[in-house]
Amino acid sequence: MEERKSRRRLAAGLLLVILLVGIGAVRVGKFLPTVGALDTPANTNISQYYISNAVADTHAHNIVTAVLADYRGFDTLFETCVMLLSGVAVWTILSAKEKVEKRTDKEMIAYYRTSIFGSMLMDGAFRIVVPIILIYGMYVLFHGEISLGGGFQAGALLACAYMLNRIVPKFDVRRKQKAREELGIITAGLGAFFFALTGVLPMFNGGRFMELGKLPFPAASEAELHADGILMVEIGVMICVAGVIITILEVVLERTDFDD
Amino acid sequence: MSQLLFHLPILVILLPLAATLLCPLLSHFRLDWGKRAVIWGLFGAAVCAALQLCEVVNSGEAIHYYIGGWPPVYGIEFVIDGLSGLIVLLVAIGAFTTALFSSPFERRERDGTTVRSAGYYSMLAFLSLGLLGMASTGDAFNLYVFMEITAISGYGLIAVGESKGPIAAFRYLLIGTIGACMYLMGAGFLYAATGTLNMTDLAETIAQNDLANSPLIIFSIACMIIGFGIKMALFPLHGWQPAAHSYAHPGADPMIAGIMIKVPAYAMLRFFFFVFARDSRVMELFFDFIGVLAVLGVLFGSLKALRYETYNKILAYSSIGQVGYIAMGFAIGNYYGLLGAVLHIVSHAFMKAGLFYTSGALKYKYGIHEITQLGQVYRSMPVTALAMVVCALSMIGLPPFAGFFSKWYLALGAVQNGQYLFVAVLIASSLLSAIYFFRIFEQMFMAARSAKTEAGPDAPAAPATEPAAPDTAPDAPAAPAAAAGRLHLELPWQMLAPLLIVTAAIILLGLGNAYIAGEILAPALSEVTL
Repeated sequence: MEERKSRRRLAAGLLLVILLVGIGAVRVGKFLPTVGALDTPANTNISQYYISNAVADTHAHNIVTAVLADYRGFDTLFETCVMLLSGVAVWTILSAKEKVEKRTDKEMIAYYRTSIFGSMLMDGAFRIVVPIILIYGMYVLFHGEISLGGGFQAGALLACAYMLNRIVPKFDVRRKQKAREELGIITAGLGAFFFALTGVLPMFNGGRFMELGKLPFPAASEAELHADGILMVEIGVMICVAGVIITILEVVLERTDFDD
Repeated sequence: MSQLLFHLPILVILLPLAATLLCPLLSHFRLDWGKRAVIWGLFGAAVCAALQLCEVVNSGEAIHYYIGGWPPVYGIEFVIDGLSGLIVLLVAIGAFTTALFSSPFERRERDGTTVRSAGYYSMLAFLSLGLLGMASTGDAFNLYVFMEITAISGYGLIAVGESKGPIAAFRYLLIGTIGACMYLMGAGFLYAATGTLNMTDLAETIAQNDLANSPLIIFSIACMIIGFGIKMALFPLHGWQPAAHSYAHPGADPMIAGIMIKVPAYAMLRFFFFVFARDSRVMELFFDFIGVLAVLGVLFGSLKALRYETYNKILAYSSIGQVGYIAMGFAIGNYYGLLGAVLHIVSHAFMKAGLFYTSGALKYKYGIHEITQLGQVYRSMPVTALAMVVCALSMIGLPPFAGFFSKWYLALGAVQNGQYLFVAVLIASSLLSAIYFFRIFEQMFMAARSAKTEAGPDAPAAPATEPAAPDTAPDAPAAPAAAAGRLHLELPWQMLAPLLIVTAAIILLGLGNAYIAGEILAPALSEVTL
């Protein structure tokens, strides 16, 4: 009773907050600058600097990538850490739950033959689709500097390939590899560590943290080094994101019985 | 060496970050290594924080560290002045002692896999570095990123706690997400109005373009009051706090209850006094509003704490009252008010962390949750009892301890402004807190001895034959020496050290408050309060 009363009070409080914010937002809305207008503070202050200097500074033709991985790379490092942290949290919290008994390979194959999802067609398509996904992931990774793409998307694509491998029924005993739970989180941690290391390396070369222009590599110009640094950052992000998604998938699969 | 000193502000973040990223890998090879890496990383962070605070005090000016070498407005900068340096040092010490304190819990909960140990320590280090980052950053969006890290690791550490932990964590997740969204919205409106995210630049742009009364800024202030208010458990927005603080993992509870709600309070101070134009009429209105919330919160927290018998619940509700004191300092708004608020952030962090250390120690040794089970516990755990008494007396506000001086400055500021209501509330709530803490003392020192059984297998350091003695005959003097010739301690040393550090810190803060106020905080605070 007590519990229900407090919950109702909580809901009423939240509703009040939402209403107040909603009314406030409606009233403030007309003072917001027009989307895309050129004379607003957001467009005249620092974004002008990015637009005119980003390509010369970093050799990244996609300004979004330049801002994301270079000018504000520190934010991205911790956004990656948020991903890793969510993986760690899922891994730790679910460790208290019992694992589900899995079927043997033979039972599995027998089950797949009768289910709608399992068929030779799926198995065959899988073999064609996965290499393409992997190649596309690499393309997205390396293309991030020029157009859309980058580490986060590439990582999601790599994890996608792994996920298909786990979900699509397998009639071939050779194709039943699965990663150990903790391998995913270790890889993710190493990916984020690689990102952090990219930031630390310039500190040994007289620069500051994340000062990619002072990376201790041979290069023609500072902008060239920035481009190298951005690529290293994207690779770190990709490894981390793929590791986290694989961890969450494995941890949940181990503890859920989807068959019945 | 000078190179190393130059990088201090970022090293404070990088050492725990490296430790936590490698923690799963190291734990995979040897179960102890990940834990040790985190403890040493946090120790290194505490040393760096102390060094950078020394440097700021000696040179008398703030350290600006431009990350990525980009000049301030285009990149992210860390700003360490006396105020943020002090908060960073506080967080680093709290994080290091908490990591040490959790070590016996980890050893007891070990189940043969690396999951519990590595995951727990990884999340604890993330929580610490999120708070460290929130305190050091000078960028409004970077603050949000660190706030997210703090929040998610907080949800995790609450969920791995006691049996009701996951429910408390889920509730905190729902409310905490609203808080983070509100802050993000506030930062977004600020960006729409000014086109910049750097705090120094924000303050200059608002002052130059006379934006203080623009609707965008007003709405952004309102959003930030709600956002920070939820994160620091200010009175009507405290719904998540009692359950979260009571059911979190007992090893991490000191960090969650003591420090996690203080850093948003610091961030609120940073925004309201350093970024927004202080003297506009709108701000005056907002400060009156916060003052009302503070008074209600102080009274509500203190009265509610009287109702409970569960040790953690009493402490949690008392925190709501104590956060009210900090908000009261903001509402007073003159030099002494702010000084009192900052000193209360620091001293209450130590006091509440200390009380939760004693709570964790009681749970570790006897599994005690209720204060009625406390009878005569001081006989078998004298150090714990000493720490509890010092922290509690400091919370009530008795003179030699830290808590007295922060309340003294608050009262001084209130009198200077002629806000006598605040003084009355301060005195009334101190009396109320005396009542609920003396109820605990009564149970501990005067009630009849209660039956207590040691929970779980004790640390392997203590030989199996010894622990029987304090159980059956608590009156007997503590066994002088174990078979190996070691002293028989009431708790593992990893738990005693934090208790002693916190007790010493409270006494030192009390005795040295004039130095902290005059040398460290005065240069930073006097520029905003005239």
